[in-house]
Amino acid sequence: MIAMTAKARAKSSDILLSVRDLVVEFATDQGIVRAVDGVSFTIKAGETVGLVGESGCGKTVTGLAILGLIPSPPGRIVSGSIELQGQDLTQLSEPELRKIRGSEISMIFQEPMTALNPVFRIGSQMIDVLRRHQQLSKRQAHAAAIEMLAKVGIPDPAVRIEEYPHQLSGGMRQRVMIAMALSCGPKLLIADEPTTALDVTTQAQVIEQIIKLQSEFGMAMILITHDLGVVAETCRQAIVMYCGSVLENAPVTELFAHPRHPYTLGLLGSIPRLQADRQTKLPIISGMVPDLLHLPSGCRFADRCNKVMQQCRQQRPLLGALPDTSTKVACYDPH
Amino acid sequence: MSTMNTSAVSGIDGHGDSLWLKAARKFKRDRVGMWALFGVFIYAVIALGVVFGFWGGAWADVTGPKWAPVSAEYWFGTNIIGQDIFARALYSTRTAFEVGLLVAIGATALGAVFGAVAGFFSGTWIDEIIIWVMGVLDSVPFILLVAAIAYSLGGSPWAMHIAMIATFWIGTARLVRGEVIKLKTLEYVEAAHAIGLGKVKIIFRHILPNTFHILLVQATISFVAAIKSEVILSFLGLGVKDGMSWGLMISESTFEVLAGFFNNFIAASVLMFGLVMAFNMFSDALQDALDPRSVK
Amino acid sequence: MTPIDANLGFKQSQLTEDGSQPLLEVHELKKYFPLQGGLFGRPRQHLKAVDGVSFSLNRGRTLGLVGESGCGKSTLGRAILYLQPPSAGQVRLRGQPLSSLSNAGLMAARRDMQIIFQDPYASLSPRRTVAQIIREPLDVHRIGNSAERRERVEELLTIVGMRQNSLNRYPHEFSGGQRQRIGIARALALNPKFIVADEPVSALDVSVQSQVLNLIDRLKAEQNIAFLFISHDLAVIQHVSDDVAVMYLGKIVEQASARDIYAHPQHPYTRALLSAIPVPDPRHKAQRIALTGDVPSPLNPPAGCPFHARCPVVTELCRTDVPQLKPGKGEATHFVACHLVE
Repeated sequence: MIAMTAKARAKSSDILLSVRDLVVEFATDQGIVRAVDGVSFTIKAGETVGLVGESGCGKTVTGLAILGLIPSPPGRIVSGSIELQGQDLTQLSEPELRKIRGSEISMIFQEPMTALNPVFRIGSQMIDVLRRHQQLSKRQAHAAAIEMLAKVGIPDPAVRIEEYPHQLSGGMRQRVMIAMALSCGPKLLIADEPTTALDVTTQAQVIEQIIKLQSEFGMAMILITHDLGVVAETCRQAIVMYCGSVLENAPVTELFAHPRHPYTLGLLGSIPRLQADRQTKLPIISGMVPDLLHLPSGCRFADRCNKVMQQCRQQRPLLGALPDTSTKVACYDPH
Repeated sequence: MSTMNTSAVSGIDGHGDSLWLKAARKFKRDRVGMWALFGVFIYAVIALGVVFGFWGGAWADVTGPKWAPVSAEYWFGTNIIGQDIFARALYSTRTAFEVGLLVAIGATALGAVFGAVAGFFSGTWIDEIIIWVMGVLDSVPFILLVAAIAYSLGGSPWAMHIAMIATFWIGTARLVRGEVIKLKTLEYVEAAHAIGLGKVKIIFRHILPNTFHILLVQATISFVAAIKSEVILSFLGLGVKDGMSWGLMISESTFEVLAGFFNNFIAASVLMFGLVMAFNMFSDALQDALDPRSVK
Repeated sequence: MTPIDANLGFKQSQLTEDGSQPLLEVHELKKYFPLQGGLFGRPRQHLKAVDGVSFSLNRGRTLGLVGESGCGKSTLGRAILYLQPPSAGQVRLRGQPLSSLSNAGLMAARRDMQIIFQDPYASLSPRRTVAQIIREPLDVHRIGNSAERRERVEELLTIVGMRQNSLNRYPHEFSGGQRQRIGIARALALNPKFIVADEPVSALDVSVQSQVLNLIDRLKAEQNIAFLFISHDLAVIQHVSDDVAVMYLGKIVEQASARDIYAHPQHPYTRALLSAIPVPDPRHKAQRIALTGDVPSPLNPPAGCPFHARCPVVTELCRTDVPQLKPGKGEATHFVACHLVE
């Protein structure tokens, strides 16, 4: 295990995943909705990146696109590329993608109850996954499954493996999902709001477990979340999305110390925080997220921005590196 | 801004709610559904024409020879005593609509009310009584029930209608009950309790309107079932008493078919098949259009 | 002191503070749900969702009720409003026990107490317009004539910060935050004195959440409404509350002024909860109090202290004796149910 971690560190500068100009559209009754509009980012091996934004910003769709799981119809990857170690996933056939899913890239979802099949014991579901991707006998797979359950912190794994999903608590189910996702040693884990459905105390346990396993397995992780607190605690890099595009991409320490985009600034300001003295009024971002069907032609945030200029309404600012920082921001007048 | 205003206006004009407008838009895109609706429409025109006396009035007159073949004068030929089969078939369309509509409306209304009341009071004695009544009615063979009702009503021409309504509402009630059990736990129903609204008003104002999609589909299903049952009951002599129907035509044709004359039989069964088919497809398309999971 | 005395003491201290009768008094409130299971449908077991809760609330104050899912906090809110009549205990509104009221009397009392819900999608009837939804309370209680009602609806829309052209539109045309505002307008229609806000911002996005929180804050100040603010989010609770009660398995385990409970949490569970919140600051080093296991099922609550199975500082006494809510250290209004706090 130690050797593996060292290897992962040595290769940490390697780019594992590179998403370029990804565009995903959905056909709806009212017209075409562009859920992801020109998203680009890279992820290095072993790195944890937070994909942050409010509902409808396209963060989940981006995650699904990487796995080739965009429901089609109505969804469709219109353009762009998703390269995993140099291989463009958008060009692969469904059987080829299926081989990659689970073994190279895994995903865990928000709702662990619906992600597990209620009529099968968790053991048989785990064994299925293991044997689909690895040459294992039933007995080997069974042993491996128990080992994985123990790794994610499930007490009495040999007993629990015989149980059905409904017999487990929410936290335990999410741990089972994590065990299944990690059982084939993926290089990249996409975690979509993995702790949102859990209670605070359980959330803390599960996050801790994820971080521990991640360094143990040396895998990269994309953490999709709306919770900036979770991002601050787990991620090294954060990507802020809004209405289908990336507004800011920065190292987490930078992002929280010097948010550059007015949206990031507003978002950080509007979270109620635990503090000694209670604020009388929370700073807010006025207005609301625009309808994806009627997006403004310029900057998507223009209508809610307190620094809006003529230029912002005419042309969409592109994501560009800010001089002397490692921050990329899509704004004409960053803070 | 302008888009906001138009949607606000359409909300008022559409009155029935823009959820319905969306369903209508979706239905319009369903080509099979639109063709089915067109078919149903033609049948409806035929039935209305009979009601207003444009055609089909001469169904009982003996106008020609026995078993006349298809001709310009007798489009579908004549029957065993020389009555025009075409006129009888048209008149039967009216009967079919009459039976179908009455039963559909009656059974759906009854099912809606009892289903909603049972669902709203689920777990109490009110629910248990309604379920018990449904179970009892369900366990009596349908034809026996019609015979019993016909007997007790002294051979009333409405015995068939009443018997159908008395049994068809059960399916609707079961579906509505299930939906209401789900709806009554929703927060807007709780909100209605919180502002002090009475139970009856909560059922009729907040719960039943949200089962309309089920009721509409159930009404179309009852309509088809009623038409098909009418044919069987009339064939058995338990159905239509005065007037003419496809069931009676088929019943008549039993003698004719043995003698090798098929006009009566074919006219009635093809017309009935057409209407049932069109209505079924219409009902399917309606279900799709009203499916809340696909109405975004 | 017995627990009842303890709570009376709590009330007394509030009484002397501003010299008036509490608006709402909840005394030893219990809500048990019978579970079918016996051979003849007789309940064999009871789910003790709320198991003896007492507190009082003055006009214009906000009590934050915090706890994890399944702790009974939502049930408590509904039992207080008699939406789910309590199994035992008392709720008094301005001194008047709700249990003594007839149906008509309870309906009249509903003018003074309202509820705001969590799910902005389930809380508004999809087939009614915004105007119909907000107007309904006025119709039910026959307040004013038609023109006055319309005027009041327009006024309410302004109060919650919505545009007048929303009146004839349907809920599904609005975003979550706007729908939550409509729900708040409906709750305000009758000028209530007391509102149960059941996780009103949990389903909303961060940027919208702060807008709704500010709206609730403003209502509290301008209309002098008392809130029972239910949430699982300690940061949100701190932002809106004057006092805070922490609930675990149907019981209040700690209760104090918001300032005191966040500065000096005394119950191990409160401490663990506070330490578990992810802090949006990467420089912050989390000092987690690790809790093991999950919340026990309220069907089989453990003997002794409900928290003992997960408590990091559990003693022998905790496994056998139920700790009562008694004055803790520091402020006189700080109450804790823990054997270790003396």
